[in-house]
Amino acid sequence: MSVSINELAESIVALAPQEQEELIEKVAALNFQRGLTALSRKYRDRLAQEGKLQQPAAEILAELAKLREEIAAHDYRA
Amino acid sequence: MTIEREWIVLDTNVWIFGLRQEPTRLACFQLLGRLPDFFVRVPRQILLELRANLSHEEMDDFFRLLNRHPEQREISWDKVEPALIHNYQQRGCKLGDATVAAHLEILGVKLLVSENRDFLTEISGLPFRVLSAEAFLEQLDAESSARR
Repeated sequence: MSVSINELAESIVALAPQEQEELIEKVAALNFQRGLTALSRKYRDRLAQEGKLQQPAAEILAELAKLREEIAAHDYRA
Repeated sequence: MTIEREWIVLDTNVWIFGLRQEPTRLACFQLLGRLPDFFVRVPRQILLELRANLSHEEMDDFFRLLNRHPEQREISWDKVEPALIHNYQQRGCKLGDATVAAHLEILGVKLLVSENRDFLTEISGLPFRVLSAEAFLEQLDAESSARR
């Protein structure tokens, strides 16, 4: 990193309060997008390894419907 | 109430299609990218279904993602009363769908986003409405445009 944390903090506190708020929101948004992309990539990589990434959408929906019934039956068994 | 201020539930298929970046359901991935723009409740049945699809590590990442906007997320591990599920079953729902419907009713959620076009279409008088990911995004965009 070319700018130290201290220098970065100095630059941020020099901003107007509204700009600081915008910056914090922007950082949060970028962090969220990076987290989402990373999780998606991890999941897709695993599915690819398992040969499931190209599964048709209709088949995925059918599997999810079956899973829904199984989980509910287990969770609410008498 | 505007869609941005309303608590909603995303069906498991929206989470899964979104994370898979399923090419025929790209609206789901776009919707996940817009999560910071709205309020989401995740009920037990959806959590259990996600847990069955995601690895332990992926599930941890999922919770971390939800926790980035904690004031806009609610996770509920509570079971619902079997009598309420039974009520939906008596109206023609399968057990799984009845459970999801019961969760929505108990949580006071009026909107389910689902890619299952047939979700409870045969049941009248539901206490919530169902929108596809694409329709939800259209409504979200329309509200954003109207505000500008």
